[in-house]
Amino acid sequence: MKKRGKSRIVEYIVTLLIIITLNFILPRLMPGDPFLFLSTDQGQDVMYSEEQRQQYLEYYGLNKPIIEQYVLYLSKVIRGDMGLSLYYNEPVINIILRRLVWTFFLVIMSVIISTIIGMILGSISAWHRNSWVDKILYFKLIILSEIPSFLLGLILLFVFAAGLNLFPLSGAITHYAEFDNGWEKVIDVLHHAVLPIIALSVTRLGGTYLLGRNSVISVLNKDYIRTGRAKGLSKVRIIGNYVIRNALLPVITQVFLSLGGLVGGAILVENVFAYPGLGHLMRESVMIRDYPLIQGIFLTVSIFVLTANYLADLIYVKVDPRIKNNSDTESQ
Amino acid sequence: MNIFLKFIRYISAFSLMGKISTFIIIFMIIIAVFAPLVSPYPPDKSSGPALSPPGSKHIMGTDDLGYDIWSQIAHGARVSLIIGIGTALLASFGGGIVGIIAGYKGGLLDKTIMRIIDIMIVLPDLPLIIILAAFLGPSLVNIIFVLTIFSWIRPARIVRSQILMLKEMDYINSAKTYGAGVMYLLKKHFLPEIFPIIAVNMIRLSSRAIVSEAGLSFLGLGDPASKSWGRIIHYATNFRGIYYTPFWKWWLLYPWLTLIILVLALAFLSQELEKVYSLRK
Repeated sequence: MKKRGKSRIVEYIVTLLIIITLNFILPRLMPGDPFLFLSTDQGQDVMYSEEQRQQYLEYYGLNKPIIEQYVLYLSKVIRGDMGLSLYYNEPVINIILRRLVWTFFLVIMSVIISTIIGMILGSISAWHRNSWVDKILYFKLIILSEIPSFLLGLILLFVFAAGLNLFPLSGAITHYAEFDNGWEKVIDVLHHAVLPIIALSVTRLGGTYLLGRNSVISVLNKDYIRTGRAKGLSKVRIIGNYVIRNALLPVITQVFLSLGGLVGGAILVENVFAYPGLGHLMRESVMIRDYPLIQGIFLTVSIFVLTANYLADLIYVKVDPRIKNNSDTESQ
Repeated sequence: MNIFLKFIRYISAFSLMGKISTFIIIFMIIIAVFAPLVSPYPPDKSSGPALSPPGSKHIMGTDDLGYDIWSQIAHGARVSLIIGIGTALLASFGGGIVGIIAGYKGGLLDKTIMRIIDIMIVLPDLPLIIILAAFLGPSLVNIIFVLTIFSWIRPARIVRSQILMLKEMDYINSAKTYGAGVMYLLKKHFLPEIFPIIAVNMIRLSSRAIVSEAGLSFLGLGDPASKSWGRIIHYATNFRGIYYTPFWKWWLLYPWLTLIILVLALAFLSQELEKVYSLRK
């Protein structure tokens, strides 16, 4: 088990190094130097004087040999220094930290909501296995979650926000609003987040539902459940007390594994709702060709996804010691 | 003719939704191929008053420049078709070769390939696709290339596990003792087994590629030269005052609907094929 944990850590570190290296190489593959490319791009209005260019070249050490540049870049990244944003003229890390909260909020809320609803529907389905309820849920939910979250978000935005005026059109919080107390602020934030969270949750619902259904079915076949049923315990009691508790572990692992996909979905959904998270920032920075900022965002998102995957691995091994034996035979 | 009959027989085994999905997909392919014939106006020229609602002259209305929406959708189908089929073919072919090599050769080569796959799986794909598209410059070829980089993993894994399983079969071993070479085994035994699974997987791959392209175009990072469905949505959502006017009811809704219908049809079809395939096994 220890050996496996160690080799996984090495794998993740290698992956992170590859990402950092990609981040380093990509702008350098462009014709000319990154700032030449940047300042002449498609008439975007970010222009640099020769003096500014030299200053940036100096700042990023771009006049040094490539290996030296790489080492310099690595050491900077490790210290959390992602450079200066070209557009905002502010350390990239500060901008990212400000926006990160909103993306976290969306992703975590939709993970919680989709997991709870998926589990409940999965349990219902498992309990009434092969009945019409099960069949309808099974096919409808899986198909429903095939709809990409940003397309779902678009129609939610136009029907419920623009058409029916039930929700705000954009943003995460009402600007310049004075709130009498904390509660009003919380309500306002939630009001802004409802549609993006729904859009993100539905895509995940099919997966959690399937997993919930399968694990509940496998638990339902265990002897202790039969005993509980024989004792005459109520449905809700059995499911709540025994089934969910035992079926929860694979669900937790899946939560961490699905974070990567959710972040991808969040990038698009944030742009639908002009929600001020990392995804919206990423699009802005791509549009204005703010390379240090783009790289910083990508690095942050990657670290987030890698950490989530690593945690999923850890939990998986902890929870189910059988994995450690299987993994050896599996990789052969 | 024989293939056509086979195809009909195959389809008739589908459920109703499976048949409808197949019909929708064939219909969309026909629209894409014959786009100039089925669209009454050029997709990139003004052909009527701007922002006119759907009517007898423009069945799906016009956008802010007076371009006919239906003509744009018909031509956009070509982009989706090229992206979907191009990515699925490239990824299946590339991934298939990688899977065959990894599964058949085994050893260090296999281990290395599996490690690379492990790394690829945890890479966050959409952010990287956005970055690559931004750095490489948006063109259809680049987008297909970038999407392929993130699509070959699944076919590679499927093929590898199939080869590993087949390799141990008695009939393969006896064929080998009779002196069958790799190419012979591949042609006579491996490919016929692998092909149906990969074909089913290709539907999923193309659906994913079409959605990714729509996402990129929606962000404004698609190929500016090609009017894809995502790009129509991009222009519609960026129109000033789109939220306060009824224009979205045709300008946004029709490309949106076409995308959703295609994605759902592809999902149904692949679900159906997986079912038929697992029944036959």
